[in-house]
Amino acid sequence: MSAENRYPGYDVLAKREGLSWNDATRRTIDARLSLPRVPRFFTPAQWLTLQALCERIVPQPQDPDPVPLAAMLDARLLSGRTDGFRRAVLPQQDEAWRRGLAALEAEARTRYGGAFHELRAASQDELLRDLQAGRLSHEAWGGMPGNAFFAHRVLPDITSAFYAHPHAWNEMGFGGPASARGYVRMDFDRRDPWEAAEAAPGQERQALRDNHRVR
Amino acid sequence: MSAELAEHVVDEALRAPRALNGRAPDVFRVGGWVPMREYAADEAVDFVIVGTGAGGGTLACRLAELGFSVVALDAGPFFRPLEDFASDETEQTKLYWLDHRIVDGENPITMGGKNSGKAVGGSTVHFAMVSLRFRPEWFRSRSLLGYGADWPLDWREMWDYYTQAERALSISGPLTYPWGPKRPRYPYRPHELNAAALVLAQGAEAQGYRWTATPLATVSAPRNRSPPCVYRGFCRFGCATNAKQSALTVWIPRAIKAGAEIRDLAMAGRIETDARGRVTGVHYHRAQRWQFQKARNVVVAGYAIETPRLLLASASARFPEGLANRSGLVGRYLMTQSNQAVFGRLQREVRWYKGPPSLTISEHWNYEDRKDFFGGYCWMAQGPLPIEWATIQTSSRGLWGADLRREMLDYNHQVGLKMVGEMLPDERNRVTLADEKDQYGLSVARITYSWGENDKHLIHHALDQMQDSLERAGVTHLFRQEDDTNHLAGTARMGFDAATSVVNADCRSWDIPNLWVCDGSVFPTTGGVNPSLTIQAIALRTADRIKELAARGELS
Amino acid sequence: MNEDTPVTALAGIALVALGVAAVAAAGRRRPPRAAAPRASQRRSVPAARRLNRAAGTLAACVLSDSAVEHYRGAFHNKTMLAPLASATLSLAASAHGHADARARAHRMRDGVYALAIATGLVGTAFHVYNIGKRPGRFSWQNFFYAAPVGAPAALSLSGILGVAAERVRDTAPGRAPKLLGLPAGRALAALTSLGLIGSVGEAGLLHLRGAYHNPVMWAPVSLPPVSAALLAATAVSPSPRLRRLTKGWLRLTAIVGGIGSAFHAYGVSRGMGGWANWRQNLLNGPPIPAPPSFTGLAMAGLAALELQEQAGHER
Repeated sequence: MSAENRYPGYDVLAKREGLSWNDATRRTIDARLSLPRVPRFFTPAQWLTLQALCERIVPQPQDPDPVPLAAMLDARLLSGRTDGFRRAVLPQQDEAWRRGLAALEAEARTRYGGAFHELRAASQDELLRDLQAGRLSHEAWGGMPGNAFFAHRVLPDITSAFYAHPHAWNEMGFGGPASARGYVRMDFDRRDPWEAAEAAPGQERQALRDNHRVR
Repeated sequence: MSAELAEHVVDEALRAPRALNGRAPDVFRVGGWVPMREYAADEAVDFVIVGTGAGGGTLACRLAELGFSVVALDAGPFFRPLEDFASDETEQTKLYWLDHRIVDGENPITMGGKNSGKAVGGSTVHFAMVSLRFRPEWFRSRSLLGYGADWPLDWREMWDYYTQAERALSISGPLTYPWGPKRPRYPYRPHELNAAALVLAQGAEAQGYRWTATPLATVSAPRNRSPPCVYRGFCRFGCATNAKQSALTVWIPRAIKAGAEIRDLAMAGRIETDARGRVTGVHYHRAQRWQFQKARNVVVAGYAIETPRLLLASASARFPEGLANRSGLVGRYLMTQSNQAVFGRLQREVRWYKGPPSLTISEHWNYEDRKDFFGGYCWMAQGPLPIEWATIQTSSRGLWGADLRREMLDYNHQVGLKMVGEMLPDERNRVTLADEKDQYGLSVARITYSWGENDKHLIHHALDQMQDSLERAGVTHLFRQEDDTNHLAGTARMGFDAATSVVNADCRSWDIPNLWVCDGSVFPTTGGVNPSLTIQAIALRTADRIKELAARGELS
Repeated sequence: MNEDTPVTALAGIALVALGVAAVAAAGRRRPPRAAAPRASQRRSVPAARRLNRAAGTLAACVLSDSAVEHYRGAFHNKTMLAPLASATLSLAASAHGHADARARAHRMRDGVYALAIATGLVGTAFHVYNIGKRPGRFSWQNFFYAAPVGAPAALSLSGILGVAAERVRDTAPGRAPKLLGLPAGRALAALTSLGLIGSVGEAGLLHLRGAYHNPVMWAPVSLPPVSAALLAATAVSPSPRLRRLTKGWLRLTAIVGGIGSAFHAYGVSRGMGGWANWRQNLLNGPPIPAPPSFTGLAMAGLAALELQEQAGHER
């Protein structure tokens, strides 16, 4: 849960048994929610770096049940599911990630003398901003452009994991799964009773009541 | 449940072929089957079609209905939408071509859901259902408008085939269409507009431009076993209700009923030719082994990447440059369409995830010629789902961290306009074979693309226009998505002679009389509208032409 | 406005309606003993009661239809409760009138029916505004999907039939019932004919939106117009033969209303998820309570013919 709770009490999972979810959706989300939280693709060392990286890309400091981003990325790489293409400047996703994490580690040790996951958040962010801007050039990158790795692997892979999770849908008020039942009210400022109710300032209790009724 | 087990349960369609043993899935009935005729591999069928999308699916249907024996191969699975489709962006990437490709050039194309499907039904299984006709002048882009190349097709003939396609797909569209020559009434009425669509309308009206409800291939009323659209918004991730009129729900069932055989999970690897320089059949990989189907004719309909890939990979001693490639143009003149956007925010709730993403459209700049660039573009309302929206935020604005998470909270207030813009044919943009091999042992495609000056000029104009439109509609906090493309075309272009094109107006290759190409690869230009309706119209025409040629004894 | 408001509002309206009916019933006094009513008076009461039933049928249609449609519109404007209240009152008044054997207008019923006429007019103005303010203004798109332009007229029609019922009932002894200075049977026939045309227009518009995907959807735009034409003919030049023919068509039209609801229910079931997805399909599917408005109008037409017959006999 982020600091600002726009949709208090809203949970797409409350609709799991209802008409908005079908069997295929239940199987999919069940699998996602029961992912093992240990690395099966990455080594333990890479896992530490990855977890720290995920926490910078999508910080979840106050979330009681954080989205397991590293586990989701690990599972995806294990499954071998790819985007269906590789930019010529980047290696395949497996190699890109392995090399990228190792290079990030190398950069951290070179600049700060410590492992990436042991750095303070501000230092980690600074390193990542340099990575994004293409200012990192440790030989550990092996010619893989850091900014391309950041733009085309780090950002999309980690953020698409976060926004694939029901917690993310809840916090942004996304309607969530919708079959067989879709939506009726499509005009401005209208919601169906099974959609998230946004808490206008001062109206949090009403939104909470509405969201608890979502089925 | 472990991830592996879950994957097995969900992806049954990908594990083993479904269309075999005399039956194919009935996509309209849970667990249902329809009888399907099967053909012996060693007896030549009239047509083997590689690919069952907007081109191949339509052609398979019409050829079978016209009495030809047809085997249609598709590398993808035979999905059952009612059972297989989850309401989940990640899970539904199974609809896309996820096999390996390499992209390069100055503006590498993002492959996948924007342009490449892998399924029986092709990319129409995940397309946004936008069904537009070409502006008539585009068939004579070079002669009339001074750019690109002329098509060897007459727009008036195409106009009738557009009508046929619209009827077959029961397009739901406005009672009067604001642009172009008169067209018959769309079979079904337009859909209700969501808030995102209304913003386009407000902006366009403020600019003095016309707008309309987008003609869509999803029904606004019951049609046979298709229920009306429930406005769930997962259109580009597979329609789980079968309201969408895709090749999977329209052409393929008709094809099977008329006696065509569909072979799913069948990856074509090589087209065989004989000593006379004619094709004899197709090698394809299915059920863990390579198989061969004899054919009197082969139609390649794999869309603009896989079609040239197969033609090039089928090179032989007689055709060292690949099949149908004496002109050297197979794989060249690849085109995509610009898909940039402007996004912003409203105080009011928009909740753009409800309904098809593009419920309204303005084609103003497709029909307005007072501009200092070639080509046209349209723009449409938008409704990105969470992951797509996050990707737009990170790629367009470089956002991450707490900033990203906070910006995403405004999701229900976001609104935007996205263009479909014409990109000009450039022979340097191309598909070639790379050295890497894929899981079937086939050479991987390399896709090289760079935008031209005209492309950039058009994009710039469109972004300014879309921004102006949104501003007039009261949208604030605007930002631009400057790098996005969709759709493909051009890599087996049709033309007037063998030196400057790959196929003729009948989609028949110049070099090999029994080798055809029937998909978006044949487009000499892309136009400023989504291509699916034009591809289907071309396929309908090709079927009729084949029938005529056969009657005159001019078919191989 | 939260989810509870419509339910609370409906409960309140129901209570009010019951209260009104109770008061009216309690206030009913036995008429003073007088000479037996004339034949004309006696005969006008059944016709009036028939008109009460017709008004009630229309009111019931409007109540259920506007409840569903305004719920779909989330009661975003509180005046959207007005037709529910007015239709409920009209329904109660019509039940009251149906049970009333006296040959005298009832002031409260008159008031309720007049309110229905006014509410329907105000509703029409709101709906026209709703259509006109959207992008595209008075376009097919908006006639299909904005507020249905003809729907509030059904409430006014219900009110008009109710007022007619009171006027017919309130005939002085020895006089023939009159409406707007004209013989009641013929005036009512003309009015009902117009009402039928209006309903045909509304059904036609919405069936056009549905692309007439089922051939049966042509029924409400092909059969009722014949009834309307015949009724109009009886208003202009009544004859027993014409009345017999019209009566048959009106009965057919009444059945069209019932069959229409059955088909609409079938239409709801054809939505994704069928009846299980009623929360969507009842709102997005064809409106089940709309077709019986033809039944209500047919009843009014039959009442008009009955009045014409009486007038003929008393000549």
